[in-house]
Formats: sequence, structure tokens, C-alpha cells
Amino acid sequence: MKSFLSSCLKRVKADYLEIRYEEVKVVGIHYVGKELEAIGESYEKGGGIRAKSRGGWSFVSFNDLSKLKDYLELATKGAHLIKGEEIKLASLPARNEVISVEVELDPADVSLQEKYLLCNRYNKILLSGKEIQTSALRYADIHTTKYFINSEGTYIEQERIDTVLGMRAIARRGDNIQSAHMGIGGVGGYGLVKEKAEQAEETVKRAQDLLDAEPAKGGKYTIIVDPELSGVFAHEAFGHLSEADFLYEDKRLQKIMALGRVFGPPGLNIIDEPRIKGEGGYYLYDDEGVPSQKTYLIKEGRLSGRLHSRETSAKMGEEITGNARAISYDYPPIVRMSNTYVAAGDKSFEEMIEEVGEGVYVKGFQGGQTNLEMFTFAPEEGYLIKKGRIDKRIRDLNLTGNIFNTLASIKAIGNDLVLFTGPGGCGKGGQSPLPVSTGGPHLEIRDVVVGGK
Amino acid sequence: MMKDILEMAAASAEEAELYRVKSKSSEVIFEANRLKSIDSSFEEGIGLRIIKQGKIGFSSSTDLSQPRPLVKAASDSAQFGQKAHFHLPSADSTSSVECYDDSLISLSLEQMIREGRKAIDLILKEAPSLHCEGEVAKAEAEISILNTNGLSHSYKRTSYTFSLGAFLAEEGNFLGIGEGEASVKYHDWSSSVAHRILEAFRLTRKKGSISPGKHPVIFTSKAVPLLLQSLKQGINGKVLQKKISPLLGKIGKPVVSSFIDVFDDALFPFALATSPIDGEGIPSRRTPIIEEGVLKNFIYDLQTSGLMGTESTSSGARGYSSLPSPATSNFIVKEGKVPLEEMVKDIKEGIIVDQVIGSGQGNVLMGEFSVNLDLAYKIENGKIKGRVKDIMVSGNSYTMLNNVLALGSESRFIGTTRTPPIYFKEISIAG
Repeated sequence: MKSFLSSCLKRVKADYLEIRYEEVKVVGIHYVGKELEAIGESYEKGGGIRAKSRGGWSFVSFNDLSKLKDYLELATKGAHLIKGEEIKLASLPARNEVISVEVELDPADVSLQEKYLLCNRYNKILLSGKEIQTSALRYADIHTTKYFINSEGTYIEQERIDTVLGMRAIARRGDNIQSAHMGIGGVGGYGLVKEKAEQAEETVKRAQDLLDAEPAKGGKYTIIVDPELSGVFAHEAFGHLSEADFLYEDKRLQKIMALGRVFGPPGLNIIDEPRIKGEGGYYLYDDEGVPSQKTYLIKEGRLSGRLHSRETSAKMGEEITGNARAISYDYPPIVRMSNTYVAAGDKSFEEMIEEVGEGVYVKGFQGGQTNLEMFTFAPEEGYLIKKGRIDKRIRDLNLTGNIFNTLASIKAIGNDLVLFTGPGGCGKGGQSPLPVSTGGPHLEIRDVVVGGK
Repeated sequence: MMKDILEMAAASAEEAELYRVKSKSSEVIFEANRLKSIDSSFEEGIGLRIIKQGKIGFSSSTDLSQPRPLVKAASDSAQFGQKAHFHLPSADSTSSVECYDDSLISLSLEQMIREGRKAIDLILKEAPSLHCEGEVAKAEAEISILNTNGLSHSYKRTSYTFSLGAFLAEEGNFLGIGEGEASVKYHDWSSSVAHRILEAFRLTRKKGSISPGKHPVIFTSKAVPLLLQSLKQGINGKVLQKKISPLLGKIGKPVVSSFIDVFDDALFPFALATSPIDGEGIPSRRTPIIEEGVLKNFIYDLQTSGLMGTESTSSGARGYSSLPSPATSNFIVKEGKVPLEEMVKDIKEGIIVDQVIGSGQGNVLMGEFSVNLDLAYKIENGKIKGRVKDIMVSGNSYTMLNNVLALGSESRFIGTTRTPPIYFKEISIAG
């Protein structure tokens, strides 16, 4: 592959040129209720070319590798149609790397029969609850080989295996329908999804328990978020704001987001760290061939860094971080997070609940979104906290807040950091889902608006 | 080539079907007020569905030159697959639909660049502080479907998209306005999209505030799809079959306000989901979903309709890499008689919702929603007073659709949903 790609690359003239090519094999199993909706293996091969002229980019994606030369020509022609201010890329030493995958139990060595039996068993558990109406289960193992070559002499081949499992139980009592879910897996082998019967049982229990919950009353509350929501908080309520591509051409925003600005209390640290083995956002090189690294986004409450591509790094004169990622070959790399988390503090969960006195404890994750000023996130379940104790169960909550104030309202940081990955992921600029992990310890946050009737 | 693969698959199965998508698109992308990138895509893939010993098998691939692994994977899949409750359709007459525009093929990149440029210039002339980004895209796809029961159909469709966002970051006051148009046909949208953004921008220059509690609300066409998500799930035959649709047992009964009519219409001229056949080769049609507030139909693909003992509504949606599943095509809420200005005049204290964040989170199936107002306006004594923000609104979309005061007189397509603005009795506002 290397010699073929490099021979094609040599014949073309552009300021900068790169070819990414991917070979993907997916085994998927999908249950909805009793019915096995889909099972089997599928194959995908395709590539993406990025060409840069002095002042513009062109990106061409394709499935048919035999027409690569035509596509390269189209990309260079496209880039040359753009005349404008010069685009610079942060400089980078050329590299040559072939990274093969190491997993304990390669899903390719497990028969479809065995995967089917495992999913069937989990799905039966999901359907076993008295008040369970239906279920949804998605299993996938994905084997990806990525080839990267650019006109600066870099060649990187990366192999990766993702194994993920998502389980949902849907409970019904008359007109009341509630659901609970569980996501497991990440970069790694079949072991990640084995022996998860207990998690399936726990998902069933949560769905059924939600039937007894009362709808939340809207208003402002002191909340305690669990590690799963804490991670979503790090991701939605701050992470996206630290992606440099939204401000690198906007002087006004750069002023608002000046490094050193105080966002939260001194004990608050938010970190993006791609090189955590097993997590969904794990990678060694990003999709521009830049080595990944750990970046402090918030250090002791202050804005201390942001995530960059080669272009945003050069434009802002900040250190390159290796955060340009594409969900697949048919998209160009853009600035994205990897594994983003709030670092652990010193409070135990019990202490936090006791100190809060009156408030809401929220757990689990149903979704989150931001417009870079406001954020929302929806927990799966909630509990009222009364007199320092966990009280009644509540549901249908959606939390919202202003990113610029909410971090400052963090009053306590737990000592119990957990990272979460699983099927699904992050969406941005039409690219979804990108595998990421998020996590954190329990957090106490004041004055959070909870939507409700 | 497709015939050979089908024959190979048919050798070991009772029925087989190939679904192939071949598409190309070109896109000009603007960032920070300037032309930034010119992108193209050339996609091709094939999905093979078989019925073997009465069970469904499936696989897909982008590599048409390697049919053997594809056929084997489909056959392996069928060992475990769901029992088929249908037969693949045979050749049928299809109605002619308008889903292709010749003039789009010859449309040059230079012209797409000019129109994007023109819209951004119009915006910056009046509002130089805005940062604009946008995309002008054209696409052409060829869809072919071939099965062992004699069906062989191929059609082409086009699409043209013009979308623009304007962003302004002020300390404590971020503003993002998104507008766009998409259709099968080419049209110069530059002025109308720019003017809509400017109109919104003007309205946001003043600030409004609203007290927590229940207030009347108007959802613009852009915002209405948020409230239709639950209905779209509720009428899905698969959701019904799993007995989790809140609309179970409601056929023939009123489910929303009595002057609401809703159709699923794959024949609508030049709309994004218009096609002669669905993803299984069933001729497209117009299916009444709600007539005068009364639920008329659920939507089905072949397998789901087989399980439910009814017929496909031609709603088998798919890409090449997945099995068909029921989904709405063009989802049409019929317009009413009241102009937007009249609705505004009618409200003493209330809001207009245009953009939200947090849509699709929470218990969508049951209709629950709770969203932050990304772009919304205060109405005071029949006049738009200014932008309201930092507000969470909550409700139940079924309850709201049962408390409609008026439907707007002008409809717009937002993606594949065509709807007028809707005036509702009330919504809950948390401060």
C-alpha cells in the first residue's frame, strides 16, 4: 500500500497533500425486543485526499482506489480555485510508523455463533423484567486499518480494534414508558463485552424503577452529578469551547477565551488525554499524522490550553496537540476531543450528599448539547436530596447552564474518577459519532437550572 | 455485474436482492467570511439481502469487484437471521416523480462560490461584526435495486443545499443564527437566506425578558420538527410492533387538535425524500397520517407489515449498508390560515421559539422535551420585543399538539419536514 500511495502522490503538485485510506470490517448484531434485526459482517474501503494551495483546501473522498490519480488531480484543481490569505500549517518532523494492534482476545477469533449466543443471552436478561416491554441491544466489533501518507514524507499505518456493546431496557406500565441504557466497550478485544450479565440485570432494574419516579419540577437546584454525567459535563460544558477551530479566526472570541482566564475553583482540572489504553478516544496519531498528547484544558480553575489541528495551531501560535480527527475516510479531519475528564478531588460521595442538604442527585446520561455558550444535558435518573440524604426518585430532567458561569459554581469535587466509553459518541460539524470517552468524579454544582413542568 | 452477484447469491437462497447506491457530490465551504474549501465525494456501495431457509441474511460492501465474501457473509448471517414475514416484490408499475434536476448537473463550482459569496457580502454589509460560515452543495445519486422475483429498477435523484450560519461572540452574549434551503432543484437562494439571517439579527439587537411560568408560544417552521419527533416515532410500525408506541390502539381516534392534517408523501414534487420507489422497490405513495386530528395510519416496511399482518406503506428506508427499516419520507403538516403576524398580534405575553439546544434528549417516545432557547424572542402586547435567552422551556409534544390555537398560512421545508409555524396555548418556562 505504501509504495502505491507514494507513487501516486509523487506525480501531483500542491503546497501540501495527504492521502488517507481505510479498510474496515464490521461484525454487528442488533436486537430490538425478541427480534434479531441484523447480524453479520460487512466491508468498507475508502479514502480521502486533502490538498492545500496557498490559500485554500480541497477534500475529495472516494471508494474506488483504482481512480486515485483522477481524484488527486481533482483535489489539487479544487484547492487552486481558492485565492485568499495564506494558510499555514504547524511544522512537523516526518515520521514513518507501522502500528499493529495488540488485543487480548481478537473478535476475529470468536465465531459468529458465539457472539450471537452472548448477545442472545444478554437480550433475554434485558427482556426478563416483569414490567419490561421491549429491549434494544447493539453489539459491534470493528477492525480498522488506516493508512496515512503526506507530501512531507510522513507515512503512518495504524490498526485498531473496537468492541462495543449497548443495551437498553424499556419498561411500560399503562401509558408510562421508561427506558434505561448501558454502554460498554472501547478500543480493545472481545473481553470488553464478556461477562456483562450483571450490567444487563442492573439496566432492567433501573428501567423498572423509573416507572415509579415522579416528573421533576422545574427550577434552580444545587445538584450532585455522578461520574458519568460529570464526564458529559467536562465534554459539553467545557470541552467544545476549547476546540480551537471555533475561535482561531475570531479575534473577539480569542479575547473572551484568553489563556489564564478563571473559569472555575482552584481545585478544578479538566484534561484531554488520548493515550489512555482501552478508552473510546484512544489513538497514537491523529488524522493529520500528529502524535497525540495529554492537554490540560483547565488547570487549577484557569484556562490553560486548547485543542488544535496543524492549521489552528499555526494560526494562533500555540503548541500543536494532535486533535485533528475524522469519523472516517469520507470526512476531513477537524478539531475534536479524545478522552476528556475532570480530575479527581478529595471529597467522598457521602460527605458531598451530607453537605448539600437539599438538592438533586442526577445519574446516567441520555444526551447533551452545546451552542458554546449554553449547554444542556439530560440525566437518565434523578433523586431529590433531603436533609443530607437521598430521597425520592424523579425523572424527565434536562439540566442547562451557561458555560462561563457554571464551572465557577462547582463547590465540591469527588475523589472517585471513572471514565466511560461505549457505542455512540460525539457529533460535530456533521461528523457523528466519533468515539470518545468522558468521565470524572462526583461533582457538586450550585444554581443549575432544571427544566420541568 | 449486479446480475452476476445476484445469481451467485440466488444459488444458495430462496430469494435475493441487491441494493446499490452510487453518488457524487460537490460542496463549496465558507469559513470566517471567506471561501475555505472545495470538497467532492464519490461513494459507491452495495447491500445484499437474502432469504435462506425462510430466514433473512444481509451483508454490504464498497468493493463490487469482490462479491464472494459478500455472498458468504450474507449466507452466514441468514443462519441466525430473523424469520422472513414477506416475499420480495416483483416488478410493478411505478408512478413518475420529480426527483431530478438536469440544470444542477451543469451548475459550475464558480457559480456556487459566487452565490455563497453574495449572501455573505449582503450580511456583512449591514452587520460587519458577524462571522459567517456556510456550505453550498450539489449532489447526484443513482439508486438501483434488483431482486430474484423480477424487480429491476434504477433511478437518479439530485439535491441542492444552501446553508449559512452567522455567529457573533460578545462577552455574556453569544449569538448564532442558522438558515438554509434544500431541494431537489437548483435555485439561487443567496438573497432570501441572507435576508432571513439579517431579519433575525435585527430582532436580537434588543433584549427581552420573561417571567417563569406558563405562557403562549409560537414555534417557527424551523422549530416545529422538535415537536414532531415523538409523533414520527409513534407512527413507526416497528415501534408499534414492539408495543411501545403511545399511539397503540389509537387508529380512528383523535390524537392531536382537530384542525391538524399530516401526510407522509414520497411523491411531493422536488422534495428531498421524493423517490419513485422505497428502499425495497415498493412504489411510492402519499399516506395520510392524521386527518382532522384523527390518527389514520402507521408506516411499515415489508418485514414489519408482515409481522403485523398488514401491507407495506412503501416506507422501507435504507442505505446500502443496512437492512430496510420503516421511516417517514417527506413529512407534511398541512398549512392553516393564520399569518405569523396575526399570531404575534394575538399574544399579550409570550415567546417565539426558532432554535433550541437539547432536542432529542430525554424521553422522546413519550413526547417529553426540555430544551434551552438558543434563538427565541419575547412577545409583549402583540409585538416582538427582543431576544430572550438563558431560558429552559419544557413540555410534552403530544399535549402541545392537542392545544394548538392556530396553524400558520405559510409552510416551509426544514429538511424533509414541511410545516407552517404553529401557535400553541402554552409552554412551561423555567428561569
